[in-house]
Amino acid sequence: MERGRLSELLVEAERRAAADRTPLPDASRTEAAEGGCGVVGAASSVRVSGSVFLRSLEQMANRGNGKGGGVAVSGLDPAFLGVGPEVLNTHHLLAVAYLDTSVQEGVEREYVEPLFEVAHTFDVKAMAGDIQGVRPPDVRCYFVRVRADAREAFARTHGLEGADVAAVEDEMVYLNSYELNTAYYASTGEKRAFVLSHGKDLLVLKLVGYGDDVIRHYQLQDLRANVWIGHHRYPTKGTVWHPGGAHPFSGMHEALVHNGDFANYASVCSYLEQSNRHPLFLTDTEVAVLVFDLLHRVYDYPIEYVIEALAPTTERDFALLPADKQRVYDLIQRTHIHGSPDGPWFFLIAQSLADERRLIGITDTSMLRPQVFAMQQGQAGIGVAASEKQAIDAMLDSLSADDPRFWSRADRYWNARGGSHTDGGAFIFSVHGVENGATPTLVCTDKFRRVLDVDRSKLPPGEESEDAHRGQTEALALATGGLDAGEVFVEVRGRMAGWGYGDVRAFLDALVAGAGTDEARDRAFAVLALLLDRRYPTGRMKPSVIGSMTEDAVNELAAGIRGAPSDRYVWASASAPLAGSVDGDVVVVFDAAGSDAEGPRSLARQLVELVEVGARRIVVTGLRGQRFIGSGFGVDTDDVRLDLFGSSGDYLASGMDGLQIHVHGNAQDQLAQIMKAGKLVVHGDVGQTFGYAMKGGDVYILGSAAGRPLINAVGRPHVVINGTALDYLAESFMAGDPLTDGGFAIVNGVTFDEDGTLIEMDTPYPGGNLFSLASGGALYVRDPRGLLGVDQLNAGEFAPLAVADWDLIRPYLEENERHFGIPVQRLLTVDGVVREPGDVYRKIRPAAHHALTPEEAWVHNADQNAGQ
Amino acid sequence: MSRTYLELNVKKHEHALHDGYHRWPEMGFEPPAMGDKRWPADLILSVWTQAETGAPPTDGSEYRVGESGGGFDLLDFKTLPGGSQLAPDAPVDLSIPLNRRGAGREIEIPVPWYGGGMSFGSISERLMVARAAAAKKWGTFTSSGEGGYPMGLYPLRDSVITQIATGMFGVREETIQWAPMVEFKYAQGAKPGLGGHLLGDKATVAVAEMREAVPWVSLFSPFPFHSVYSVEDHKKHIDWAKQVNPEALVSVKVSTPTDVDMVAVGSYYAGANVIHIDGAYGGTGAAPEVAKKNIAMPVELALPKVHRFLSEEGIRDEIVVIASGGVRTADDIAKAIALGADGCVLGTTELIALGCTRCSNCERGRGCPFGLTTTDPELSLLVEHDWAVERLDNLYTSFKGQLEQILRALGLASIRELRGRTDLLRYTKEA
Repeated sequence: MERGRLSELLVEAERRAAADRTPLPDASRTEAAEGGCGVVGAASSVRVSGSVFLRSLEQMANRGNGKGGGVAVSGLDPAFLGVGPEVLNTHHLLAVAYLDTSVQEGVEREYVEPLFEVAHTFDVKAMAGDIQGVRPPDVRCYFVRVRADAREAFARTHGLEGADVAAVEDEMVYLNSYELNTAYYASTGEKRAFVLSHGKDLLVLKLVGYGDDVIRHYQLQDLRANVWIGHHRYPTKGTVWHPGGAHPFSGMHEALVHNGDFANYASVCSYLEQSNRHPLFLTDTEVAVLVFDLLHRVYDYPIEYVIEALAPTTERDFALLPADKQRVYDLIQRTHIHGSPDGPWFFLIAQSLADERRLIGITDTSMLRPQVFAMQQGQAGIGVAASEKQAIDAMLDSLSADDPRFWSRADRYWNARGGSHTDGGAFIFSVHGVENGATPTLVCTDKFRRVLDVDRSKLPPGEESEDAHRGQTEALALATGGLDAGEVFVEVRGRMAGWGYGDVRAFLDALVAGAGTDEARDRAFAVLALLLDRRYPTGRMKPSVIGSMTEDAVNELAAGIRGAPSDRYVWASASAPLAGSVDGDVVVVFDAAGSDAEGPRSLARQLVELVEVGARRIVVTGLRGQRFIGSGFGVDTDDVRLDLFGSSGDYLASGMDGLQIHVHGNAQDQLAQIMKAGKLVVHGDVGQTFGYAMKGGDVYILGSAAGRPLINAVGRPHVVINGTALDYLAESFMAGDPLTDGGFAIVNGVTFDEDGTLIEMDTPYPGGNLFSLASGGALYVRDPRGLLGVDQLNAGEFAPLAVADWDLIRPYLEENERHFGIPVQRLLTVDGVVREPGDVYRKIRPAAHHALTPEEAWVHNADQNAGQ
Repeated sequence: MSRTYLELNVKKHEHALHDGYHRWPEMGFEPPAMGDKRWPADLILSVWTQAETGAPPTDGSEYRVGESGGGFDLLDFKTLPGGSQLAPDAPVDLSIPLNRRGAGREIEIPVPWYGGGMSFGSISERLMVARAAAAKKWGTFTSSGEGGYPMGLYPLRDSVITQIATGMFGVREETIQWAPMVEFKYAQGAKPGLGGHLLGDKATVAVAEMREAVPWVSLFSPFPFHSVYSVEDHKKHIDWAKQVNPEALVSVKVSTPTDVDMVAVGSYYAGANVIHIDGAYGGTGAAPEVAKKNIAMPVELALPKVHRFLSEEGIRDEIVVIASGGVRTADDIAKAIALGADGCVLGTTELIALGCTRCSNCERGRGCPFGLTTTDPELSLLVEHDWAVERLDNLYTSFKGQLEQILRALGLASIRELRGRTDLLRYTKEA
């Protein structure tokens, strides 16, 4: 049967099903408004256990409020479910949640037995008791196959004879679940049973509670699966919650979790109604997965087109698409724009296809919800996506403890650029080979199905053996010799490429073991920080593994100080606070593990209290996403310095008015909001809305910023971003005249490859909105090839770099060099030739847009009157 | 010592202005405006009377309702039988708490109102300081608005609620740490969804310096907060302010969309102490005409909706609901409370007390004939500190007396008992 015809018939089948079920629920308003949520998902070439996934959900619990949590798994371990691989791969896994077990017999009689042959039944084990005052549903899984006679009858009735058998069976399963839900959950008002999921090799479990409650309640710690997605829900309305409202929601062979909020829920519902689909659970997440399933299964759109329909490519990004893509995308947008969720959203989808298990992450076009992607490729491969980077790190941490094939850092972390021509704002982690018994592999592609990979010449620990100890003696000598930290680092950097992991380990062990005196501890911290902060050649070793080993060494060094504190090095934690005052010369090593992420017992408060009793130099280790670090210190803190190791959390340095913070790794969202003074150095990337309404201070970022950095900045902020930003950089920038004490940002558009080589990015700035509606300040962008265009500006203009401009920014680039080892000379070098600064950097300043220029100065001598 | 020309000039205008309130009726020219349906001339003149005498007018002038033909203007209190009323001298409690969560700092204000946010920029430093001084005298608060703390406000900062609005102009860690209460302004009822605007005329050198922006350039606060796109973000935002100042109470100021009830619940769960519902009738003349009264719900509709919803959720007694956006008179305050608020925020009323005639010229730097919504260094001299404080003091005294009378007539010993008592209201159109 022709594919278009099949789509029509499937849509028609759903119309008939809906017509049989009246009245339908009023879909004009969602049952529970929600917006805030935490999502995390992973796809791995080896099955990952529930206990590993649990850790990252636990650590992100502050993104939910306990009113709904869920997980979906695909690439299941058949043994856990009591079936063989053949049944798992060929049968639909119908998972029914029973809120009222007395209806089980009726459900089976009406909705299981007539349609299906049941190969196996599996009752999901559960703990006793309620969670958040609500009893989680009992879950029974039926491995079912549509009876041949039923299929033939259905095909006859619906004109589907000759159609693809699998497609017809899917539709029958889909409609059967719809009818079951209508009868037992949605329409009667009495909520007794509903279908959690019904795809092949896909299982959804959810309840009222947190996402991690699901794993504990259903005892999934030992369940292993290739793909996991999980969700914490944060509904704001209602005193009664139902498990049916929790995420994930199922389409057919996919389950979706969502962080966000649709402004056009009603419009999407109308759009779905045109294809005879009627939401039953009244949350925007449900309609999201219904749209996905409609486009992907019923209309058979390739995933690229499904993503385009959900998150359309717009503005400059559209203009930069190839002509043939523009034509198709234009048609997609015309046809499906009403099904495109409008508002902030980030979807994670677990999908089970015949020959592939997938984790898909899609962000809305404007990137209004937090999202981070990460990938690690070694003997096994794993891709992770989450609302916060710290959740990814928590998972890798717990995974590496569970399985020696993994280590605690990803090879790369990145953000998707929503609705873009560059990556399309979506990434797909595909696990191939799950169903056929081969060794599965993990591949990451973007929306356009371009592969995103790591440097395959680098080998993970297990595969790198023959030269593992080649330079061990020299490594030991360096660690224990008389060189100072900088010299040690220079030596190590020069030799690392010839070392193996064994040498690195030996070096780190010796460095930490030798750190008995204060001087040796100074040196050890400095060397470890340099090893974490800098990018350098690592030969056949993976930088992520070396980073992971170095972080371990930092923790060991801290443990050593805990065991043997000295006059100058003391150790403290939430449960072992320091007694009395602290001398300003003392370095307080603070273990963050026991501190809350926010609230009265937060790490951020504990650090403020430490400074109040005199501490001036604090090294924080073992960070696990704690928020607001560096906030609350107030003014007169110029002599305070924080060094942060581990995964720092949102709002770091927000409000900061004088101290100095060094982040030895990537940072998260909302950094440096209203920052007024001080210095922030981030040896990695920063997340969304960095520097919002910033007033001043100096910030140095080794990597890139995600969306919306430096919006509404005023005063005199000085910012160096060595990478780039995704979009809306420095919108409404109002920071005076940079040449007379105003503010500016420098964007270098450079990055490092995995061998530590500094390279130019494809463009210094990929976004469509640069310095929009700015009325003050300036951007200095390294753009020797003139890649930026006026079409990226809105009320800004390019200006030549004057001598005064270079004199202004050069000291900042020199300090940038000191922090990150990116020589000014290298920045001025283009294709091997050192150029004049004016040939390399371009200035962007406010254009004389009439709405953004001073109105008639009607007060005489305004400056003189100002003080009155 | 002889006075400078400027001083003499100011003196002359000040005299004309202050004295002019009495002379306007017999003067040969019209004032720049004299109200509108919502604020009819009678109401404006009555507020002036109260600001001078500390009591409502006794000449029969209308001082309780306007002529808008809806909302507060069509509501009145029922007349109870004499036996149910309290004696004319019976003590009546007008105080309301601003923190009902049972944890954290307890703050009570002795009257059920505080001053609304007007930034340095939208109004002059002199006016800000006068408002704060009046608030301090009464043990209540005024709000900083979004434009920082001019020096004159420093000594009064314990009486100033600090506002964090979407442009975060003038918001520093220090200002958050000073504040007894932090007000997150998500939207203003007069112009919901439009952010904030300060046109170039008013962004004088001093104002721009305070906001650290470019002088004479229009300043726009975005909508919404770029860092807040969900309730979870909102909670994180509040957590941040609490981290910076753990002692501060948190107020969330929102406009009145149809789902304002959900917003209120979300704010409660995010940790707010106060949900401040700003209806569509507030705002100065600087709010765009197209937005005023045309976007959000009237506060009279929003309040019962929010009150009922919070009650159904079982959290009404843990959060304080504050109403603003069209609360003009003591009667309006009482009605808003009967509709479900705990207390109110006064904005325009205070400007009226100082001479405003609703001429709607607020957006221009030298547009305000009374030196109120101006940042012009000369024009703002028209607001003389002691005079302004006294007028606000008198207005408050009058409001206090009226509220006590209203409560006694309703047989209530405390303003807290009035909350949500829609049964005590009647719709005057039917009568």
